[in-house]
Amino acid sequence: MANMPAMNAFSDLIKQLWQRLGSMSLAVILLMVLSIASVIGTVLLQNQDQADYLNQFGPLWYWLFRALGLFDMYHTWWFLSILGFLMLSLTACLWRNVPKMLKEMRNRKGTLNERSLKRMELRKQWRLAADTPVDALQAAFKKPLHGWEVSAVEQDGTTYIRADKGRNHKWGYISVHTAILVILIGGLVSVQFGFRGNMGVPEGKMEKTITFSQGTETAYLDMPFQVRCNTFNIDFFQTGAPKEFRSNLTILEDGKEMLTSDIIVNEPLYYKGVYIYQASFGDGGSDVTFKFYQMDGSQKTRLASTQVYKTLNDPETGLAIEVTDFRPYNVENIAEKFGEKKFKDIGPSIEYILRGEGLKPVKIKAYMNPYIDADGNNQGSWMMVSLTGDSKDYQPVSLGIDLTNPKEWQLYHAFLSRMNEQQGTQSEKANLQAFKLALTDVFGTDRPDDFQNMGVRTLQAVRMLPQLPWPIIPMLDDFNHVYYTGLQLAKDPGMNIVWVGSAILVIGLCIMFYLPHRKLWLVIRSADGVSHITLAGLTNRNQLAFKQTFNDLFTKLDEEFSHHKNKGSNNI
Amino acid sequence: MSATTAEISIMAGMNQGRWALTRFYAYIGMSLGLGAMAMYGTGGYNEDAFLYQILSIQGLIWGGTGALIGTGLAATLSTMKPSMLEGRVAPNTVPWLDGALLMVILASIAALFEPAASQISYEDQSNLIAGNIIMAMNIVFIFSAVAYIAYLFAPENFIGRIATGSAYFGIYAGGTALLLRWHESYMIDVEIGHAPVSNLYEVFIVLFMITAAVYLSFERRYQAKGMGAFVMLLVSAGVFFGIWLDSVGQADIKPLVPALQSYWMKIHVPMNFVGYGAFAVACAAGMAYLVRHRMEEKGSNSKMLNVFPSLEQLDQLAYKSVAVGFPAFTLATILGAAWAAEAWGGYWSWDPKETWALIVWLVYGAYLHARVSHGWHGKALAWWAVAGFLVTVFCFLGVNMYLSGLHSYGRLT
Ligand code: HEM
Repeated sequence: MANMPAMNAFSDLIKQLWQRLGSMSLAVILLMVLSIASVIGTVLLQNQDQADYLNQFGPLWYWLFRALGLFDMYHTWWFLSILGFLMLSLTACLWRNVPKMLKEMRNRKGTLNERSLKRMELRKQWRLAADTPVDALQAAFKKPLHGWEVSAVEQDGTTYIRADKGRNHKWGYISVHTAILVILIGGLVSVQFGFRGNMGVPEGKMEKTITFSQGTETAYLDMPFQVRCNTFNIDFFQTGAPKEFRSNLTILEDGKEMLTSDIIVNEPLYYKGVYIYQASFGDGGSDVTFKFYQMDGSQKTRLASTQVYKTLNDPETGLAIEVTDFRPYNVENIAEKFGEKKFKDIGPSIEYILRGEGLKPVKIKAYMNPYIDADGNNQGSWMMVSLTGDSKDYQPVSLGIDLTNPKEWQLYHAFLSRMNEQQGTQSEKANLQAFKLALTDVFGTDRPDDFQNMGVRTLQAVRMLPQLPWPIIPMLDDFNHVYYTGLQLAKDPGMNIVWVGSAILVIGLCIMFYLPHRKLWLVIRSADGVSHITLAGLTNRNQLAFKQTFNDLFTKLDEEFSHHKNKGSNNI
Repeated sequence: MSATTAEISIMAGMNQGRWALTRFYAYIGMSLGLGAMAMYGTGGYNEDAFLYQILSIQGLIWGGTGALIGTGLAATLSTMKPSMLEGRVAPNTVPWLDGALLMVILASIAALFEPAASQISYEDQSNLIAGNIIMAMNIVFIFSAVAYIAYLFAPENFIGRIATGSAYFGIYAGGTALLLRWHESYMIDVEIGHAPVSNLYEVFIVLFMITAAVYLSFERRYQAKGMGAFVMLLVSAGVFFGIWLDSVGQADIKPLVPALQSYWMKIHVPMNFVGYGAFAVACAAGMAYLVRHRMEEKGSNSKMLNVFPSLEQLDQLAYKSVAVGFPAFTLATILGAAWAAEAWGGYWSWDPKETWALIVWLVYGAYLHARVSHGWHGKALAWWAVAGFLVTVFCFLGVNMYLSGLHSYGRLT
C-alpha cells in the first residue's frame, strides 16, 4: 500500500517525460544541438595522424580533445546519444500524433458550430432572397471547385456544404517523420554490419587486407578474397590534369582467379556484396637508379640503385638518400610570359631527402631531363630544393650544364682547368678564351651547333655547382616504374534502407508542402425572410495562395448570387 | 493600366488552360524522350558529348517523339477529363519551361558569332563570347538592383517595370551564357567539354538565375515588388564576387577531375542550387521584414510602406521560399549521397561539405518547426531566415575556402 503513491509519481514522471520527448520545442532544440555539434567535426580535421594533432595543439589540448573523442567525433558515445535521442523523440511524437491524424483524416463531419465559424480567418457573407433554392447555391459553389470533395448536410434548418482538398495532407507529416527514423536505422545498420576501408595494391601484387581508422587507432580487416592489380593507368588532359584513373583488377579466391575487370572513378566493381572503388594511386615502389656526379673535380660518376620508399646509404660519402616519390610525368606550364599558358610534359622526376653528417637535411625534387624552354632551347639540368623539407618551399636550382650529356660534364671540367690556367684573370675575354680551349679539348674541331648556348650554361655551372654543399649531385638515371592503385572496399547492408527512407522523405515533404489540406464551407441559413449565406475557408499551409483562391471564389459566387440578392451583399 | 491589362490577358491566355497543359505535357514528353535516348539510344549516354547528342538528329527524333506523345496525351486527357484544365501546376511551370527553350534558342544564335575553331585555344579563352554575355548579365543585375531600390523611394509603375524587366533579362543572359559556355567547352577540346556546373564561377551564375527566378515567380503571384530590392541586393553582392573570381582567373573553362565526370553532377549540382537560391529569397524576405518592422516601430509614415508587402505577407513569403528550398535541398542532398555511394563507396562520410549540408538542412528544419510551435514569432523567425542563409553561404563558399575534404575540387587557389 505504501508503494502506491510512489508508483503513481513514477508513472506520472514517465508520462511527463514522454510528453516532453514528443514536444515540438524539444524537436527544435535537438535539431539545433545536432547542427552545432556537427560543426566541431568540420573545423577539426577528423581521423588524422595522432602525432599531427599533438604537434598542432600541444599536449594539454591534445589530451582534452582526445578524451572528448573530438578526433573521431561522429562516432563518439555523446554524438551517437544525440542521434539516439532524436530517434526517441521522433518515436514519441509519431506515437502521439499519428492516431489523432488518422482520425482527423477520416473525419467528414460537415456541420460547423457558430464558434468555429467565427474563428475562421477567411469569411464572407451574403443576404439573399429567402426563396433562393439551396440546390442552385450548391451548384454555383461546386462549379469552380474541380477536384474538390464536396458533401452537404442539413441540421436544424441550416445547410452545410463542405468542400475538401488535400485530405491526405497529414500523411506528409507521418511519412517525413517515419522516413527520418528509417534513415537513421539504415545508418545504424551500415555502421554495425558494414565496413569500409582502404587497400593499396602495387601493380603485379596481391592484397587481402583493408585498413580503416577506428577512433584513434588503425584497424585491419581481412577480405574473403584477394585483389590483384594487373595494371594501373592514368590518362591526362593536355593541361596535365588527370583525365582518368583506370585499374585492371583480378579477384582471387584461394589462388583461383574468379573475375578480372577494369574499374575507374565513378564505376566500381561489385563482388560478393563488396564494392571495390578506385580511390587514389601512388608510386608502388618503383626501381630507380641514381647517377652520382662527384663534386671533387675527379669528373667521376657512379650508379646506385634503390626503390621508392627506401633509403639508400652511400658508404663513400656517408650520405643517406631517402626516396619519397617518383613521377613518370610532370606536365607543367612552361610559358615564359606571366598569365600565358603552354603545357608540356617535362619528363620524370624523383623526390628524395638528402641527409649527411654536418649537412642540413634538404628535400630535393630532381628532374631526369634538362629543361627545354618554350622556344626549344636546352637550359640544362635542374632540380627543386627545399631547405625546410616542406614542398611549399621548393626553389628551382638551375645546374647550368645538361648532365644527361656526358660531353657537357666533360666540358665543365675542361673549362674549370682551362680557367685555372688563366691564373685568376677573370675578364670576359679571358673566360671566352678559356671556353674556346675547353671546347677544343672536348670536341676537337667538331664543335656542336649550339656551343654558344653551351658556353653561357657552362659559365652558369661554374658559378652554381661549387656553391652546392653536397659532395655528390644525385640525379635520376633510370627507372622501372610501378604504380600502386588505392582501392576503397565497402560493404553496406544499410544502404538500401537509407534509399527507401530517402524516397519516403522526399515524397512526404512534397505532400507536406504542396498538398495543403484546404477546407471550404458554404453555410446557408434562412431566418426572418432572408437567406444568410456564409462562405468560410481554412487551410493549414500556404495562406497566401489560399487567400487568392478564396477571393477568386468569392468574386465568382458574388456574380452568380447577384440575381438572388435581397438587400445588397453585406461583406465582412 | 489598360495596356498592361491587355498584355497580361494575352500572356495569361497563353499560359492558361489547354495551351498551358499541352505545352507542359510536350516539355515533359521531350525530357522523357531525351532521357530514354540516354538509356536506350544508339551510343547510349556519352558523358563527353551529351549536349550534341541532344542537338543532333537523333536527339530531335527522340525528343520530338516524346513531345508529340506528350501533346497527344494532353489533348486526350483534357477532353476526357476537362477538370484537368483547371490545375495550377501547368500554368505555374510552363512560363519557365518556355524560358528554358528560349535560352537554348538564344544560345544557338549566339554560337553563330563564336570565333572560328582555329582561333580557339585552351591557353587563351578571351575571344570566346560567353564571357561578354556574362558581363552583360552582371551589369543588368546590378542595374536591376538599383531600379528596385529606386522603386522603393519612388514607387512609379514604370520604374518597377524596368526593375522587373531587367531581372528577367539577367536570367536570360545568364542562362544563354551558360549554355554557350557548355558549347565552348567542347569547342576548346572535345575531351575537356562538360556541363557548365563544374566550378564556383559557373554555379554562381546558376545561383543568380535561380534566386531571381524564385523571386520573380513570387512577384508575379503575390505583388511582392517591395521585396525585390533585397533580393537583387543579394544577387548583386554575388555578382561582385563573380567579377572578382573572374579577375583571379577562376572563370576559365578547365577540364574536370575524374571524380566529377559523372551524370550525377548534372543533377546534383543544379538541384542544390534550387535550394540555395530559394534560401536566398527567404533571407531577402527576412531582411525586408526586419526593415519594415523597424520602420513601423519608429512610427514612420514613409511612402515606402505602401509598396512594401505587409509584415504578415513577408513572413509568409519567407516561409514559402523555405518551402520551395527545403524539399529541393533535401532531394539534392540525397542525390549527393547517391553519387557518393557510387563514387566513394559510402553514402555518408562526414566530409565537411556533407556535414555542412546537414547543418543547413537542420537549421531550416528547426526553422520550420519553430514556426509551428508557439513561442516563435515574426521578428525572431525573420532573423532566423537571415541567419540560416549565412549558414548556407558558409556551406557553399566557406567550406571550399576554409575546410578541406573530398569536395575540395571546388577549392579556390
Ligand atoms: C530531422 C528531424 C525532422 C525533420 C526533418 C522534420 C521535418 C518536419 C517538417 C518539414 C515539418 C513541416 C513544417 C511545416 O510544414 O511548416 C514538420 C512538422 C512537424 N514536426 Fe518535424 N521533423 C523532424 C523531427 C521532429 C521531431 C523530433 C518532432 C517531435 C518531437 C517533430 C514534430 C513535428 C510536428 C509536431 C510537426 C507539425 C505537424 C503539423 O502540425 O503539420 N519533428 N517536421
